[in-house]
Amino acid sequence: MSVQNINVALIGNPNTGKTSVFNQLTGLNQQVGNYPGITVEKKIGFCKLPHGIKANILDLPGTYSLNASSMDESVVIELLLNKNDKLYPDVAVVVTDVENLKRNLLIYTQIKDLEIPTILVINMADRMETKGITLDIPLLEEKLKTKIALISSRKGTGIEDLKNLIVSYKTIQHEPCLNTFDIDPEYFSSLQNLFPNQLLYKLWLVITQDVNFSNLDRNEIRNAFTKSHSELKRLQQKETIKRYQFINDVLKDGLKIDASMAKDIRAKLDRVLTHKVWGYVIFLGILFLIFQSIFSWSTIPMDFIDGTFASLSSWAAEELPSGILTDLLSQGIIPGIGGVIIFIPQIAFLFLFISILEESGYMSRVVFLMDKIMRRFGLSGKSVVPLISGTACAIPAIMATRNIENWKERLITILVTPFTTCSARLPVYAIIISLVIPSKRVLGILNLQGLTLMFLYVLGFATAILSAYILNKVLKLDTKTYFVVEMPNYKLPLFKNVGINVVEKTKAFIVGAGKIILAISVILWFLASYGPGKDFNEAEAIVKERTAGKQLTEIQVENEIASQKLENSYIGLMGRAIEPAISPLGYDWKIGIALISSFAAREVFVGTLATIYSVGDSDNEATIKSKMQAEVSPSTGKKIFNFATGISLLLFYAFAMQCASTLAITKKETNSWKWPAMQLVFMSGLAYFVALISYQLLK
Amino acid sequence: MLQEIIAFAILGFAVAFLIKKFFFKPKKKKDCGDGNCGCS
Repeated sequence: MSVQNINVALIGNPNTGKTSVFNQLTGLNQQVGNYPGITVEKKIGFCKLPHGIKANILDLPGTYSLNASSMDESVVIELLLNKNDKLYPDVAVVVTDVENLKRNLLIYTQIKDLEIPTILVINMADRMETKGITLDIPLLEEKLKTKIALISSRKGTGIEDLKNLIVSYKTIQHEPCLNTFDIDPEYFSSLQNLFPNQLLYKLWLVITQDVNFSNLDRNEIRNAFTKSHSELKRLQQKETIKRYQFINDVLKDGLKIDASMAKDIRAKLDRVLTHKVWGYVIFLGILFLIFQSIFSWSTIPMDFIDGTFASLSSWAAEELPSGILTDLLSQGIIPGIGGVIIFIPQIAFLFLFISILEESGYMSRVVFLMDKIMRRFGLSGKSVVPLISGTACAIPAIMATRNIENWKERLITILVTPFTTCSARLPVYAIIISLVIPSKRVLGILNLQGLTLMFLYVLGFATAILSAYILNKVLKLDTKTYFVVEMPNYKLPLFKNVGINVVEKTKAFIVGAGKIILAISVILWFLASYGPGKDFNEAEAIVKERTAGKQLTEIQVENEIASQKLENSYIGLMGRAIEPAISPLGYDWKIGIALISSFAAREVFVGTLATIYSVGDSDNEATIKSKMQAEVSPSTGKKIFNFATGISLLLFYAFAMQCASTLAITKKETNSWKWPAMQLVFMSGLAYFVALISYQLLK
Repeated sequence: MLQEIIAFAILGFAVAFLIKKFFFKPKKKKDCGDGNCGCS
């Protein structure tokens, strides 16, 4: 007999350890529904509960209440109001932080009033002793009309109790915390009379929240109960006051805090880390450390992967039966996959550091620290989170702008976020830096390649901020602005959380980008292996005639033939067609092909060059890097990847909008084609101009 | 011959995958579709 999975929704304020509870319950059994990063949409995992019951665990975005002020909060309300949603929760688990119980309980009371079975989780129980906190759990359970799990998601305690409570969710009382009539008896009585079969608190949310709620006509309800915006706000305030009165009453006897027992180093740390001088010095120092480590620590595994794929290509070419499929494998698919896998070490290290900073609570200090600076440029302190998470991928970063309440600040953040260096740029930077920047020490300890990489990241941030400043002056949108940020406690990062985060984000890059790169590699191989006309089909005869009388080895003749074919293949003809436009930037037609193919996604650049150079070279054993290093211009005899071309390419990729998915998400988030079109034109134009200037100055 | 068939089949898959990826993104459902979102 098959048993249907139950849906369990994890809900709570930001920084209550909701995602840690999610990780404890699901382990690696997660299906990442949205892009990894900050939880901006639903995330689903699976969990086996006692008595053979299975559960879908939903990690929802952090929200302070059911009165949505930003888009990510609406995700929670829409789910809770839609019983027909296949993920509609059978049971809600509200996660709270033992140190912020009063504030965290507000949303608990609201969900309880929706008559959804609700379990209360009080997290971070391991801090109770150091903070002098004692709880009367039976009393709290009685007053809050629920079951409570006292847990520490960091230490993994109480998780089994929570699983047992989830299993017995049907025994939880449905009684609401607040009688909705108490907010305004006259108003709510008439509302209930008109819709006698509806839950009153749901009706109230339909009136006050701008969320999807399709079987009730919101306009019908609103028209029947005309209240001005300010009157509705007044009622909402009244509701909040009544809820806090209830919470105060509950906590009066259920929660005791002995301030004399509290040992706190948080304030001391905050004084240093958010200091107006030392705060920035420390932040810059941390950035230095990260980028130095990315380059230094990744070298050995990257060289190993590069060598392994080169050997694999060579093995496939020599050992498999000769034919078109073997050529496709050895020259198209294997180098294409290698072009993705090689960057796993660097991407994993980058995410490792970012996860540690987020987990430790330091990232919120950075947000606070940067708010003053950001505000001068038309951004909010909250813009720092998208800008930093943009180092992973611009898509979740743009989605993460949903928690910026002010539309103008949000729009500007969306428009400038693609300037931050995403992980797709990292492969391009890494290979070009290793080709044109010498690996030498600066000031005895700093690696020049690492410094160059850091410069490119800083350049991305600086361009984003400068563009924001211009947009702030240009865009005529007047909106009120305020800044509220929660400072979580400092914590030692949990190995499990950091590990899951690194695996999840690296996997997303490899799987997401890998499939596109592989498909493009296959197509490129065909375009590079076939061509029209005599120059391609009779390449062998043409080369033999041209080289007759010259003292060339067999390998040199083979390379000449491969080169003649490539140049006259379909891709060669396309590349040569665009060459006049890109040669002022220092690029040949092969780089031009990589530029075109990487328009869909930047990371395709290296894979494209790997495929093109594999087709145009008879040496299957050489690595991608050595092939690029050996590439010379037939007209000048000089290396293609020289310093001037390398810098020009680095700058081009620093600014260019080479990502179709980012344009799509900008359209989705702004609900207009105007803004992505502006992004595309402005960023591409800037990239071309800067690359042109740099090449012309350095050549 | 077999190698050619497999190679061109792989090419077909690659082209179809990219077209689907960039031109036919599934639209997210905004509501439950049947006009009854179970509010009652």
